[in-house]
Formats: sequence, structure tokens, C-alpha cells
Amino acid sequence: MALYVLYLDLLVTHQFEGRRWTLPAQVYAAPLELYAGLALSPAELEGELQRLGYRRTTALDRPGTYRVQGERIDVALRPVRFADETRTATLLSVVAGPKGLESLRDGAGQEVPVLRLEPLLIGSIFPIHGEDRIVVTPQEVPALLPAALKAVEDRKFDSHHGVDPVAMLRALWVNVRARQIEQGGSTLTQQLVRSYFLSTRQTFTRKIREAIMAMALDAHFTKADLMNAYINEIFLGQDGDRAIHGFGLASQFYFGKPLAELDLSEVALLVAVVRGPSYYDPRRHAERSRARRDLVLKVMAEQGIVKAEDASAAARRPLGVTSRPAGAYYPAYLDFVRRTLRRDYHDQDLTEAGLKIYTSLDPRAQEQAEHALERELARLDRQHKRPEPLEGALVVTTPQSGDVIAIVGGRNVGYDGFDRALDAHRSMGSLVKPFIYLTALESGRYNAATVVQDAPIDLKLANGRHWQPENFTHEVYGPVPVVRALAESLNLATVGVGLDVGLPKVADTLQRFGLPQPPLQVPAMLLGAVEVTPLEAAQLFNGLASGGFHNPLRAVRAVISADGKPLKAFPLEVSQVASPEAVYQLDRMLVEVMERGTGRGARAVLPAGLTVAGKSGTSSDFRDSWFAGFSGSHLAVVWVGYDSDEPTGFTGSAGALPVWAHIMAGLNTSSWEAPMPEGLAEMHIEFPTGLRVAPGCSDDMVAVVVPGDASIPAKPGCSFPDNGNPVTTILNRAEQWLRGLGH
Amino acid sequence: MISSMRISRSSSAVVSAWLIAACLSGCVVSRPEPTLPPGAPLPGETPPGETPPGSTQPAPGPGEAQPPPSERPPAQGPRQFRLGPAATALVTQAHAQAGSGEFGQAAVTLERALRIEPDNPLLWIELGRVRLGEGNAAQADAMGRKAVALATGDPSAQAAGWRLIADSLRARGRDPEAADAEQRAGTLSPH
Repeated sequence: MALYVLYLDLLVTHQFEGRRWTLPAQVYAAPLELYAGLALSPAELEGELQRLGYRRTTALDRPGTYRVQGERIDVALRPVRFADETRTATLLSVVAGPKGLESLRDGAGQEVPVLRLEPLLIGSIFPIHGEDRIVVTPQEVPALLPAALKAVEDRKFDSHHGVDPVAMLRALWVNVRARQIEQGGSTLTQQLVRSYFLSTRQTFTRKIREAIMAMALDAHFTKADLMNAYINEIFLGQDGDRAIHGFGLASQFYFGKPLAELDLSEVALLVAVVRGPSYYDPRRHAERSRARRDLVLKVMAEQGIVKAEDASAAARRPLGVTSRPAGAYYPAYLDFVRRTLRRDYHDQDLTEAGLKIYTSLDPRAQEQAEHALERELARLDRQHKRPEPLEGALVVTTPQSGDVIAIVGGRNVGYDGFDRALDAHRSMGSLVKPFIYLTALESGRYNAATVVQDAPIDLKLANGRHWQPENFTHEVYGPVPVVRALAESLNLATVGVGLDVGLPKVADTLQRFGLPQPPLQVPAMLLGAVEVTPLEAAQLFNGLASGGFHNPLRAVRAVISADGKPLKAFPLEVSQVASPEAVYQLDRMLVEVMERGTGRGARAVLPAGLTVAGKSGTSSDFRDSWFAGFSGSHLAVVWVGYDSDEPTGFTGSAGALPVWAHIMAGLNTSSWEAPMPEGLAEMHIEFPTGLRVAPGCSDDMVAVVVPGDASIPAKPGCSFPDNGNPVTTILNRAEQWLRGLGH
Repeated sequence: MISSMRISRSSSAVVSAWLIAACLSGCVVSRPEPTLPPGAPLPGETPPGETPPGSTQPAPGPGEAQPPPSERPPAQGPRQFRLGPAATALVTQAHAQAGSGEFGQAAVTLERALRIEPDNPLLWIELGRVRLGEGNAAQADAMGRKAVALATGDPSAQAAGWRLIADSLRARGRDPEAADAEQRAGTLSPH
């Protein structure tokens, strides 16, 4: 027995001495950059502050608070560590008008040109056993917390030797009468031992072991040390696979703000949760946890820790928990982060080393995207009435920087399961068409006005079978200009062009834009028999949205170590993968897709006057409904379909487009208005025939951009002042118009 | 983290050349605003979200006072890129960082600016200069080309892009191509 006690003593001291909690990497969203001119309304700014757990006050008395005075919002910013800078607590005054931020000043009244809010903690990368925590130092713990813990859990903590015999006997008596373990009577030290060293199985021998170990701990360590260990160790909630340990993380998990900023009612609620994180879960059992919080407050007043009137005031406050748990909000995004980092880090580095990971996630865009997908899928489900629920996934980027700002992996956004954005390999369908036409434009033999034949195709394949593709409508359209073939997504015309420029060339274009695997070079490739994930589709279209420059899409910007050393940066990289002239011509045709082609349905949802470019995609038998498109500042790719690969019965325009349009409408985005490269010219052609027309000559014309030396046949009877070159035509018109001004 | 060790003699020369150029681009930034024709929107009146702050101003000219009816506003025509106040502050900070050899930090700072004004070629040129300074001539070249594409209509910004391309080619010993690029810059905007 003595040997056993000695063994436990050694075990406890050794393990506790060298105790180091494994620290899951913390993952942060992109910080919001504030500057005069930023389109952010006062309400939106307040929303951002509240998302960061800032509390509105009148006093502005400590970091983490703000006050509103008319159009001015004063913020007491917390100290913060960015990947590239550490900033102390600072005051900021923002004047926000209806059109956006008007001025930023610091505490001394000096103009501040640009300032970042702190990045939102969006989750952590915790190990398989699921233990997640944020470790706090004693300085970060509000004094009320240890006092409340002692008052409620262990009144003799400061004087006992690890166990409280009276409380234990009382518990034993209760348990003997009930013939089972019902009451704890454990000291904080015993609870710590239980959590730190032992399983939670309750037996009498385990109780004895626990008591011996608690006494050993108490003999070797100070009460302050033990209290700090308790605060960082104890289990306080469950979120799927993730176990919330320690008050530091619990504070973020329940209130979305640092532990140091909790007020009396919030501290009391966390102390209430200690007794049964599932039974007293404030999100699921609000009434029950509220009753226990109020009991904690009452005990605190009785013990003289707080004044009775403060306790009753705190008891009148709502629970104040955030609607969704902080961290692990965004499983699909975190999934991408994890995969990015796995190339450079072992799992253990991520789950144990306390790294800080800075990402490009835009929480506002992410939430918009989640809502748009959820709402539209529910609407489609109601319309289509199938037993299986529709699924969807999407990716949003800022094309020029290649930042991935939002990822949704399925309609159940909180579910950390199959991530369709990264893992659903689906036929890209007509999303391939822009790359076929880009290849054609690059060949120099095609432009937007080139008339191509939409005619029946019958190809004898190597295996002896015949391939006879059809248009979506099963009709044949005859001669059509390229701009129309793309806008209306005509299969036969596109296959004709693709065969003419050659499968290897088209495959090469796809790979230049970032397709990871070489596509199988069969004619069906021209109708999108190429499997891509939504993320890969976003990579492909990102190059079209940024003028023919490829940037590897990235979620992670930087990784820093627990002690603040920069470990890894993911810098912006670009490479030119297509001629800017060809991409511009194509992009202008993708604008026409939205104006008059398969994307026109978005008009009703998008803000008036917003110029966007895009392409619908429908794979064979309607199994996949895609939409990929971009504005001047954002790209979004949406996939909708069934996990079982059953046909959906609708096209990209009917399924994915509404989701896409709602996402774009919800973002604060700008028009696509890339400058037209030199050597190109804008002219008008008749949409059905591709013949050059002057305004007034046709009631169905479209503006296209072609090489300046392109010769486009004019519509008979349509007179042009110079009878020739479209560039001079436009110049002449401008000149006439200028002369008109003079009169 | 920063590959400043790899700076070769020739690229240090490039860096000092850039620090001179930095002053020049500072001059671009502080150039007075062109007077706008009556009726044209004032910079402050541009609806937020429609145009990135301070990206371009159409040069004054009667032809741009109002677009002709039923025509898109001309995408082309002389333009002059400038930096907005936020980007200017970040560029100043990046110059200080690059000046003390912290190229990685300077690049991070310039990326912040680029997120605010992603279409501004002047920022891509700045970032390309930093990449060149840390010895990454290939990225400098690509960013120069990106800048040239974005700078359509602004000969002086295009020339600055071509000069960056020329320097990045020279850093890789591709002197004949560098001379071509230099010549293009010279045609657009003589020194």
C-alpha cells in the first residue's frame, strides 16, 4: 500500500510538473481593413465589432468595448497579434456615413489612413481525441472566476489538503443509501486529477486512487498553480467531435470573446456549466442552465464574493450566449486549411504546437454564401419533390489575389463530414465551353463574330461506336456567331469548334488554367466529360476573372509559432497563362451570357447596373448543375446535384444560377470593367446572324470585341460611313459626336 | 523566412535602382488631381463599391464629359492611375520595410494594399519590385506583365511595368529581351 501511494505520488508529480497541454492550432479569418471610403455602413461596422465580441458601452472603459455617438463609433481595440505585426490596445474613432466610412482617427485625434480590426478566431485544428482548448495565464482570468469556483464547488479549497473528508463522507452516505454513485463531494483538486489522469468511470477503487493523487498534488504544488491548472483543464462543452476544455476556450465558445472580458453573469454561467456541460448546455437547455446560473449568483452573494444587488442585477441579464459556437463554424473552409498545411506540417504540429494560422476567410461572405445555398436548395427541393435532398457546394474567391474567401461543402454547414467543395468530383458539363472558345480565340482563326455551324455531328470513335451529341433543345441552329453559340450554350456548334482547334489544344488550355490532371482527350471532353471539384472549377475560372493570369488559390496567408515567430508565408503568386487580348474577348462574351444567354435569369436578383460575366454548366442527363461567374472583385462557383448522382432534372441555369445570383447580390461587389486591351475594337453585330450592323439597322444586335483588323461582313442594306474597318467606324462616330457638341 | 541571403550583386543594384524609383512613384502618388469637367462625378461621390478608391481618374477632355447615348462609357482613352490614401500609407510602410531588407514583410504589406485596390497596376509594380529585390525575378516579370495589362490607357504606368519586366529579364541574364522591353517602355513614356 505504501509502495502504491509512493508510485501514485511520483506519477502525479512527474506528470503534473512536466504538464503541457497540447495546444491545437488556432485559425483566424481575414482581418477587416478599415479605411476612409470603404463601403461599410454604421450598422455593418457595429455588426463586425459584435462578431468580435466587442460590447457596446457608454463609458468605453476597457479594451473590447465601443460606444456609438451619432455618426461616430469609438472603439477600444484589444491588443492583437497579426501575422506581421503586434499591436497594443488602442483607441479608434470611426465616422461612418450612409455611403461608407468617412474618417478614421486614433486616440490622439490623428488621422489614420488604414487600420485592421483583429481577425476573428474561426476554429482550431484539434486532434482525433477531440480535445480543444485555449490556455490562459492567471493574468487573463477575471478574479471572480476562481472565487466563484471555490464558492460553488469547493469552499475549503484554500485550506484542505486535496480532499475534503467531511464532504466526502456526506457524499458517501448519500451514495450508500442510493446503492450507487450519485454525489461527488470532490474538491477542485480531485476534479482536476479525474480530468487529467483518470477515466471518468466511477468506482470505489478509482475514488480512492483519485483521493491519494489529489493529496499528492496538493502536497507538491501551490493552490494558485492548481487553480490555474483547473481553469485550463476542465471540460466545459461538446461541439460535434470537439471537446471544449478550459475556461479560455469556453468563453470563446459560448460568448465569442476573451475570458478576461466576461462580466459577472457570464462568469456565473460558465461556473454553472462545470457541473454538467451537457445537462446545463446553455444553448440546448437555456432554462435549466439559467436556473443554475442564478443559483451560482445567489451562492456568490451569500459567500460575500459579490454584493447582493449586483448578483440580482446579473440574474436579470439574459444568458448572452452566441447563437452559434465560436470556432469550427466553417468545417469546409477549415478542411481546405488543414489540407494546405498537411503538405508542410505533421498532424501533431497542427494539433499540439499552438500555431496560429491566418487565413483569407471572409466571415460575412461565408455567411451570405451559406444562407444563399441553404435557402435556394430548400426552394428547389420543394419544387422537385424527390425523396433525396439536393446537395450543393460552392467556393468564393477574390480573383486578383487568389484568396479563397468562402467555402461551403454541403447544405448542412455545421456538419464536419463529406466536403463536396473539395471532394465531389463531378462532370464540369458546359463549364468547359469558355476554355474551348478561348483556345479558338488564341488560334487567331476565330473571333466573337465568326460564324460557326451548329450542325449534326456523327463521329465514329476508336471503339467503333458512334458519338452523336445533341443540343439541349434537341434542335439544330445552323450558322450562328460564336458569341451566340457560347451565350446559348449550343453543344453542336461548340463541338465543331473544339474539333477544329483540336482536343490537345483544348486540354492544354484547361491545364494552363490549373486543371490538375490531364483530361482524357475524347470528343466528349468538349461537352464537359471532365471531372472537377467545385474548388478546381473555381481555380479554372479564376484565371478568366483575372485577365488570363493564374494565381494558385489559397486559404492560408501565414503561419506563426506559439511564441510569435513567422514560420511560413503563402505569398501571392501570378503567372500569365493566356493572352490578355484573347481573355478579354472571351470575358466580353461571358458578359453576354449574363445579358442575353443562359445566365440572364440572374438579372432579377443582381443589383441593377452590376456587370458580371459567367457560364452555366449542365452535365449529361442533368446530373450536375453548375454556375461559375465573376464580377470585378469576386468569383463564385456553385454546384448543385444529388450525392447519389441521380439526374436533377434541371440545368445549371435553373439550379446553381439562383444560388450564385444570391451570393453575388449579397456581396458588396463591383462591376466587371476590365480595360479593353490595345489592338481590339468594339463593334455591333446582329445576334442571330453575326453580320455587322450599325445602330438602328437591327433590332437584335450585340456589342462584341474583336481584333482591330478583323473583317466582319456587313449586313446588306446597312450603311457604314467608311464602309470598312470597325475601329475607324467608332472613331468616326466619336468625332461626329464631338462635333455635335460644338454646335 | 526571407530569402534576403540570396540577393546577388546585380539584384542589389536593382534594389537601389528601385529605391530611386520609389521616390518617383511617390511623385506619381502626389500628383495633383486633374480638373474634372463639370457634371463628371467627383471622386468622393463615386458610389462605394462601384469603383475601387482612387483607382483611376479619366483625364480631362470634352469627349469624356458624358458618354454618347446608348454607348458604354469608353473603356479606353487616357487614364492616370493613382493610389488612394490607404494604399499610399501601406506603400510607404512597404518601402521602409524593403529599405531595411525585410522583403517578406514588405510583400505582406503590399498584399494588404492590393486587397484594397486589386486593379491598380502601380501596386503590382511595387510588389514586383519587392520580388525582384528578394531575387524572385520570375514573379517580378509576371507582376510586370499583370501591371501592363491592367494599365491599358495609362502610358506612364505601362512604361513602369515594362521597365520592371526589363529589369527582371536582365536579372536572369536575358539582356536582348530586356532591351526590347526597355524600348517598349521608352516608346510609351520617355524617361
